[in-house]
Parts: sequence; C-alpha cells; structure tokens
Amino acid sequence: MTGVNNEKITSIDSIQKSFKEVDYICSKPIATTLYLAFCLNKPILVEGPAGVGKTDLANKAAAFLDFPLVRLQCYEGLDESKSLYEWKYGKQLLYTQILKDKLNDIVKEKNNLAESIDALHRYDDIFFSKQFLEPRPLLSALQHQGGSVLLVDEIDKSDDEFEAFLLEILSDFQVSIPEIGTIKAESMPFVFLTSNNTRELSDALKRRCLHLFIPFPEPELEREIINVKVPEISESLRIQLVDFIQQVRKLDIKKLPSISETIDWARVLLLLHADKLSKETVRDTLNVFLKFENDITVVNDKIHELTQHALKEAHG
Amino acid sequence: MEQVLANFIVALRNAGVRISISESIDAANSLNIMGYKDKALLRTSLAATLAKTLNEKEIFDTCFDLFFSFDEFPKDHNGPNQNCEMEEQEGLSPLSTMILSGGQTELATLMMQAGQALELSNMQYFTQRNPFVRRIMNYMGLEELDNDISQLSQDGSALSQQQAQGLRDGRDLLTEYVRTYVDRNYELYTRATQNNILERHLMNMKLSNIEERNVHDMHMIIKKMVKRLKDLHSRRKRNFRRGQLDFKKTIRKNITYGGPLFELMWKKRKIDRPNVVVICDVSRSVRMVVRFFLLFLYSLNELIVKIRTFIFCNNLIEVSSVFDDHPVEEAVEILQKGIGLDIGLSRTNYGQALCDFQENWINSITNKTTVIILGDARNNFYEPETDLLRNLHDKAKRLIWLNPEGPTFWGTGDSEMHRYGPLCDFIRECNTLNHLERIVDDIL
Repeated sequence: MTGVNNEKITSIDSIQKSFKEVDYICSKPIATTLYLAFCLNKPILVEGPAGVGKTDLANKAAAFLDFPLVRLQCYEGLDESKSLYEWKYGKQLLYTQILKDKLNDIVKEKNNLAESIDALHRYDDIFFSKQFLEPRPLLSALQHQGGSVLLVDEIDKSDDEFEAFLLEILSDFQVSIPEIGTIKAESMPFVFLTSNNTRELSDALKRRCLHLFIPFPEPELEREIINVKVPEISESLRIQLVDFIQQVRKLDIKKLPSISETIDWARVLLLLHADKLSKETVRDTLNVFLKFENDITVVNDKIHELTQHALKEAHG
Repeated sequence: MEQVLANFIVALRNAGVRISISESIDAANSLNIMGYKDKALLRTSLAATLAKTLNEKEIFDTCFDLFFSFDEFPKDHNGPNQNCEMEEQEGLSPLSTMILSGGQTELATLMMQAGQALELSNMQYFTQRNPFVRRIMNYMGLEELDNDISQLSQDGSALSQQQAQGLRDGRDLLTEYVRTYVDRNYELYTRATQNNILERHLMNMKLSNIEERNVHDMHMIIKKMVKRLKDLHSRRKRNFRRGQLDFKKTIRKNITYGGPLFELMWKKRKIDRPNVVVICDVSRSVRMVVRFFLLFLYSLNELIVKIRTFIFCNNLIEVSSVFDDHPVEEAVEILQKGIGLDIGLSRTNYGQALCDFQENWINSITNKTTVIILGDARNNFYEPETDLLRNLHDKAKRLIWLNPEGPTFWGTGDSEMHRYGPLCDFIRECNTLNHLERIVDDIL
C-alpha cells in the first residue's frame, strides 16, 4: 500500500495556487490542513455552516490531484450493504441455473449424499468470489489503482453504528469481508468527511481525523471568491454585494447566507444587468439569499441602511 | 521542543479540551513537518490536530495566545542601565550582573528554569500566586541582589550610587515581570481546576446560600446537568426500542405465507414520553431557592416536550409560554417579579392555588402525568384544601413534593407539610443541585 504520493503537493503555497487554477480559493488554514493531511496520511473532518464549500473542497481536491472522486452521501439507515459491498444475488442465482447441468454432472457419479456434498465443496467458493461482489463507494475507493478521493458527505446524518463501522476504514484503510477475507487498499485514498454538526460525532472518529473548520469568509476572501466564480461582474458591484452580505450575516436571522448564496446572488444581479445595488433591486432579489419569510422581513426593514453602507464601502 | 508541546497539551487539557495520546502524536508529527517558525502555521496545524469541535477551537485559541506569548523582558528595562558603565564589577552576584548588563534573554531563561524547578504548573489555588512570585525571585538570587544594593548604596562613589539605583529599578521591573509570568501560568494551568472545585462546591451548597454573583456559574452547571440527563435518557430510550420476539404477531403476520416464519415481529415497547406538570411557589419565604428552581425548570423545558409550568403565590397562573418566548435571564426575572403576569405576590396561599388549579386545569391531568410541587408548604394559616390535593393525587400518575426546608422544619409554624405530605407519592427535601439532579433522574 502506498500513501498519497503526488508531486503536486510540495508546499502550502503551491496548494493554494493549484486550487485557484481549478476555481477554488483556499485560505491559508485550509491549505495548511490539506498539506498536513497529505503528509500524515490522515482523513480530514470538515465542519462549518452550510454552503461554505465543504463538499466542493473534496471535489476540487480530486480535480487537483487528478484522482477519481468517490462520493458517499450519508443518511439515516445507511448500512454496510449500501456503503461497502453487496453480493450480486441475481447473478449468483442466474449462474446456478445456467450451470445446473454441470452441477448435475459433478454429482451424478457420486453414490450418496455425503459424497455429493464433498464434491460440491470443491467448487462452492466460486459463487462467493470477487466476480460476484458488487463494490459500493467505500470498497471501490479502496480498490482504485493509483489513488482516489473519498468523500463521506454529511457523516452526522448517519447512525452511530455506521460511524463505528467507518473506523476500521479510516485508520487502517482496509475492510473485512467474511467470505473473502480482508481487503487492503491498493493505494491509500484521500478521505474527506463533512459534517453540519446536527449531532456530536464520537470521539473515536474525531481522534482519527484532522479537524478543519471553515467559517464564513472575511470580506477580502469572499470578494476574491466572487471574482473567480463570477468574473463578469464589475468590481464596484462586487464590493457592494459582498459588503451587503457581510452586514446581513451580523443580523439576528435564522439562516445566514453562505458563500454559495452570495455567488447565486451575484449571478442573478448579472442577469438583471444591475450596475450598482439599489433598494429596489435588493428588495426584488432578497429571496435569492434568504430562505425564511421572517428573515426577509428583518432584512427588508433595514434595507436602506444596508444598501447605503454597501454603496459607501464601494466608493470609500 | 517536545517539552513545550507536552506543556501546551497539559494546558489545553486543563482548560477542558479532550486530547488523546494519538492526537498528541499527530501534533508532534505535524510540528516536525511544519516547524515552529511561523506562528500562524503553528496555530493552524496544532488546531487541526488537537481541537476537534468549534467549542474546543475557541478554548484552543485563548490557550494558544496565552501560552505562546511568553516573550522576552520588556525593552525599556534596558533604560536605567544605559548610563552605567558596563565594566565587570568584582563581587557582584550573577543576577546583579545580568540586570546591569541588560541580559534579558538570560533573565527570561533563568526565570523559566526557576518556574520549572519549583513546579509552577502544580499551582492549585489563587492564593498561591504571591508565594510563588517570592520563591521564584529567591531562586533567581534576590537575596544576593539585595545585598549588592545595600553595599553599593553604602559605598559613597557616584558610580556605585548609579549602579544601586539601576539595580533597584531592575529589581522592581523583574518583580513585576515574574508576577505576570506567574499570573499567566495560573491562568493556563490552574483556572480550569479551580472551576472544577467551584463547581463541585456549588453542587453541594444549599441553594439559599448561593450568592448572586454565582448565578451565572450555576446556570452553566445546570445546563451541563440537563445535557447529561438528556444524553443518558436518550440512550435509555433507544434501548427500549429493542424488544422481545412477539410470537402472536409473528404467527399472524406469516399466515399469508402459509406457515413458514419468514418475517419476525418484535415486541415494541412504546416510549413513554415524560409528561410533567410543575407547580412552583414563588413567594418571599422561598425567594432564595426559587431562582434556581426556575433556572432548572427553564432548562428542563428545553429537554421535555410535554411540560407545563405553573407558578403561584396569592393565586396560580400558567407560565409555560414565558419559558418558550424569552431567554433564560429574562424569563427568570419576569417570573420572580411577576412582570405583566396576573399574579399577586404578597402572601402565599396554597389552598387558593389548589382551588385555581382544580377549576381551570384539572382536566389536563391524566394517569400519565407526573405532578411536581415545589414549595415549603407555608400557608400563612389559610385553609389548606387537602381534599383538592387528594383529588390531584388520585388523577395523576405520581405526585411529588419537593421542599427546600429540611424535614425537621416540616409542620412547624404555618407549615402544612404534615397534612400535605401523606397525600403525596414522594416527598423529599430539595435544596442543593445534587438533590435536584437525582430527583429529575428518577422522574424521567
């Protein structure tokens, strides 16, 4: 088994630069954690509010490393057969039917039951071999030659039992299948786990991972992200809308707008051919980044001050 | 440098971050890769390996700032010595020479050595700070320094006078610096332990004796307690979900398959969600405890879905909505002072309260309801209305009376405990947080 060996990972700066090439602005802490994870061969547990680019980080890491991305979306009730492997029952049945004659041939010469079973025993493992194994995301991530990026998305949505079951994979990169034995990773996959913190994860899981918290971005960083994602938008509008969103995040509302919503808003403003923020355009497009009726009312009341502040920010 | 990391981890652990050995190893490995040079890198890499929740990250940040701010002696310390001539003086102690020559790094190193030799990280109490300052100073050679000063000032020459003054200033600065050093260490290693001691202390202290300034701490403890209870009981509930084989149901289900038992059915125990009604006395006689009862009720309100809260003094009103609509401090304030509520706060009347309850809410009591009454049963010699309490007892699943007074006071003066007591399923003295916790554990 080999670790994630890639000549692309030489320093923190180079990570930042390469991620920018695949349209992902990665702040210093993110780049540092990635670099550490590469060097220590550890999974990364990414936490943070919804929509700050947790899942995208894994996507872009796969693009950057030029590895296939294997994604496992967690939900309540997810179990081994859906995440790890399953026997191809249909294929097994079909093959036994097709091979009926052959089986008859084997058994025909035998005089009694015991002998027949002995004869069959010589062949029975055929039906529980790798050909009949349906690999699910976790197993296929281990089997990829030359490495892969495994994304276990929203691990907090899964059950405790599943979390416990993940431990073997995360620490040893191997899985045990009773009929076949232990399968080890050909080359170590690079693992991302994301969590929205709907429940506390177990200490055992956290211990095996590096922890990365992605907060809402600072204004400069957010402007840079908008610049990369929506390059057509004018600079002054970019400053205005980022400032507006930053102010909204300071208000007492239920769901704070995240980066993905800022990007959506920028795209909407671009479609509307707006060249600067005005009360009217903001009011008409509030629902792009606010998702609750109450939140919209709160922001609507302050729309004038917020817009003025944003305009001043762009000019000053 | 491993020692530094180990000390840092001890400090983090003291501050309440759980760090396992494998995590320390990760941290050490990451330091090997990153090095100590860049403080921002150091912070990120240690944060990634050691602090694993948002809460822990916050603790980590404060600890990191405290721990890695042990800088050198302040530069202005150099000031008074600048005028002195730097020639080596015969017979001066090493400390005096260091001060006179302005060797800040050496002074800092010496101080750290003193701190380690005297096991500063074992400091436990606030009051130990001054003795530690003294002992570190002595270890560094304060006595010799004092001798030097007195000798130099007795000597008449101008140079000696100047040097004596320089040493005096240096000594003052040094004392101050050692004090900050000890304070920082106290902050790092001791505060958390102190908090634990305080917490344990508060748990067993009579609620009526707890002072106003500890209220905030109390709220934190209560929150923790309720969280623990919640964790405990959610697990218990989960276990209830596993049942035994329900044979009758299995047979019935499998009739459709003509006999063979394909599908097994399990006996499922229905989860009994706690259904609680709390009636709380808020009169002056129980004023000191009521605050904590209310705090606890507030936290309980978040934990139990079906809970209704009533308070009474002259009369009885329902206040469940106050808990839902207001943050904790506000809610407690409102309830204690009866702001905007239809309640008279002069003389407690248990009889009237029972009448009010009987009239308006008795129908909400079913055989699944647990009724808890918090109060001292001091009825100001009004009619006790024991029949109504009996009625309440008959309708409810359980009737619990928690009294902040000890059993010796029950029935004395205007206390009606002896009449109310026999009608309850369970009466208990309740005046520390420990009592409260045990009782709630029973109820859930």
